[in-house]
Amino acid sequence: MPLHDVGYRAWTGHRLGRGAAVAVIALTGIRLAWTSLWLRRAVFFAWTPCLVFALAFFAFEQAVEDGLLGAARPRLRIDQAIDSIGSLGAVLTDTLAGRTWAGGQSVEELRRTVWSRLLLAFMRAPQAVLLAIVVGLIAPALISRDLRAKAWLVYFTRPIHEWDYIRGKLLVLAALVAAITMLPALALWIMGVLVSPRLDVVLSTWDLPLRIIASSLTLALPTVLMALAYSSLTMESRIASFAWFATWVACWIAHGALTTADLLAAEVADRPPAIGFPDGAMFGDEAFNRPPPRRRPPPSGFRWLRRAAGLDQEIDRWSWVSPYHALGVMQAAVFGFERRPEAIIPPLVSLATICAVSSLVLLNRVGAPARN
Amino acid sequence: MRHPAAGETPPRGAPLVVQGLVKRYGRRQVLDDVSLEVRPGITGLVGPNGAGKSTLIRSILGLVRLTAGSVRVFGLDPYREPYAVRQRMGVVPEDECSIPGLSGVEMVRYAARLSGLPGTEALRRAHEVLDWCDAGQERYRPVETLSVGVRQKVAFAAAIVHDPDMVILDEPTNGLDPIERQAMLGRLTTLARRHGKTVIISTHVLPDVAAVCDDLVLLARGSVRLRGSIADLTRTARPEQRVEADGDLDALQATLGARGLPARKVLDDSGWMLLVDATEPERLALVWPVARETGARIRVFEPARRPLEEVFVEALQEAEHAAP
Repeated sequence: MPLHDVGYRAWTGHRLGRGAAVAVIALTGIRLAWTSLWLRRAVFFAWTPCLVFALAFFAFEQAVEDGLLGAARPRLRIDQAIDSIGSLGAVLTDTLAGRTWAGGQSVEELRRTVWSRLLLAFMRAPQAVLLAIVVGLIAPALISRDLRAKAWLVYFTRPIHEWDYIRGKLLVLAALVAAITMLPALALWIMGVLVSPRLDVVLSTWDLPLRIIASSLTLALPTVLMALAYSSLTMESRIASFAWFATWVACWIAHGALTTADLLAAEVADRPPAIGFPDGAMFGDEAFNRPPPRRRPPPSGFRWLRRAAGLDQEIDRWSWVSPYHALGVMQAAVFGFERRPEAIIPPLVSLATICAVSSLVLLNRVGAPARN
Repeated sequence: MRHPAAGETPPRGAPLVVQGLVKRYGRRQVLDDVSLEVRPGITGLVGPNGAGKSTLIRSILGLVRLTAGSVRVFGLDPYREPYAVRQRMGVVPEDECSIPGLSGVEMVRYAARLSGLPGTEALRRAHEVLDWCDAGQERYRPVETLSVGVRQKVAFAAAIVHDPDMVILDEPTNGLDPIERQAMLGRLTTLARRHGKTVIISTHVLPDVAAVCDDLVLLARGSVRLRGSIADLTRTARPEQRVEADGDLDALQATLGARGLPARKVLDDSGWMLLVDATEPERLALVWPVARETGARIRVFEPARRPLEEVFVEALQEAEHAAP
């Protein structure tokens, strides 16, 4: 008999509410997920892009501190002026500052814009991809493992609603998403403040942390709901994992194919007809004298950074097809770089549909074993 | 336990009252007008596979949508107030259910916290009930690596960690060795007798029911085929007293017969014994002096009971005959 066996005793203490149960589900889920070596590695690597973007912040602030930016202002050629900082500074100024520059803009305004674009690029390009990987590692097992181990009996024989369970699981993923998107982005902002010449830059960039949080939530909500919905559909986490990655890849390919088809169609429209000429004029001078189609100038700087930072002005009309691209548009909207309704509404509807369908699937599937 | 008549208001004190419960899954009828009342103590819920026991338990928890009927647990409707009901209930499911990755004590603590116990208190309480369940140091191993017996103890500890008023156990002695089985039944008896809990055991093991249960509900084909106290259900057609004794049973039987107290000699699992006519209970006192005279030493002197298995099989056969 154990030394401390006092037999069975009644318990009459105060009981906590259902919110505490949600927190317990979330904390236990995070603790169990964190035991995965692959997850720890993935989260570690998810922070590495921070280094590159931290250098970009440093390069920009160094230029400001050295007065290079101010000296360059009259010439509107700041990209050349801060070449001395190095290639990163050149890329940064060429891609972001140079294209953002307006004659009467103050350094504070320029800083705010450059920081916003850097943070948007950070969250949109490396972090969104890493998010898909990390969520794909963790989410598939979150509910399917409970279904396989019949752990739903542990939950639903207690004072817990199905939605409490779902909220707990959502929080597990939301915490991981925050760990790889929101926290590094906030760390970048803090680092930017620290490397800037004066601390009052906080006043001119005070809204950026809020935008980071909003952007992170925008990223998290549809992705974690979709991942959990997949997880609830099967007892085999491998199948859920496959479905998750297949969705991202297939939608990305579909988006790429549709966009390419658009480009090809536009190019064909620009090209002179190969056979025959208008008005039946064969071998007329008009055909030979027609100017060649006007081609767009090649983009300067890093193309991915330019795109990720929201400098592409063309509306991506197929963004709603791919969650990655739809999320990118929404993040650009959160950072204030995309305001056109025709660009925002299709991906917004697409993501809202994902959220709604995933929630319905979750509510239906989570309680199904108990009901049957 | 008794069957409440239609329209009759159940007594206030009954912890569980089920009235006219009907549950259909599509065209398959799983529960057909089930009505019962469970009083404090231990009630055995028995029946063949597919009888509807698990569905009945889920109905009591408010998990399945009822086709018709009502359930009241401590006067509460589990469909309107599921959280209030589940706070007062503990369930040990038949299926092994666990959270992979948690140790035994973490599992029980997790269950406590899900039921609303604060963190530190949940851990203290988890250790306390695991000590009571004699879980030993095994409690620190991951649940998926535990033996079936220890896993059963952990599941039981998780069900009672929040001190529920009603405990429902689905096959609680599955996978337990005879000593552990006895210990588990002892714990159930303690919960019911000393702490006033209402315990419902769903099981196929009739000796367990006979050993600890006060009442019995037999479900077959979704209907209640038998219900009542074990004492009433196992009463023999003619009142008889069971007498087990060391010594010359034939002499004892003959002397009792000569004194006008007929007895018959039968053999069962316990060996040879006498079943003495108890139509006139006051005359049973005669057995003791006669035993002294014949040199017999009485070991058991109790009302004769029919074996529960016999009652069970008889009721099932009746159900079979009654089926369309």
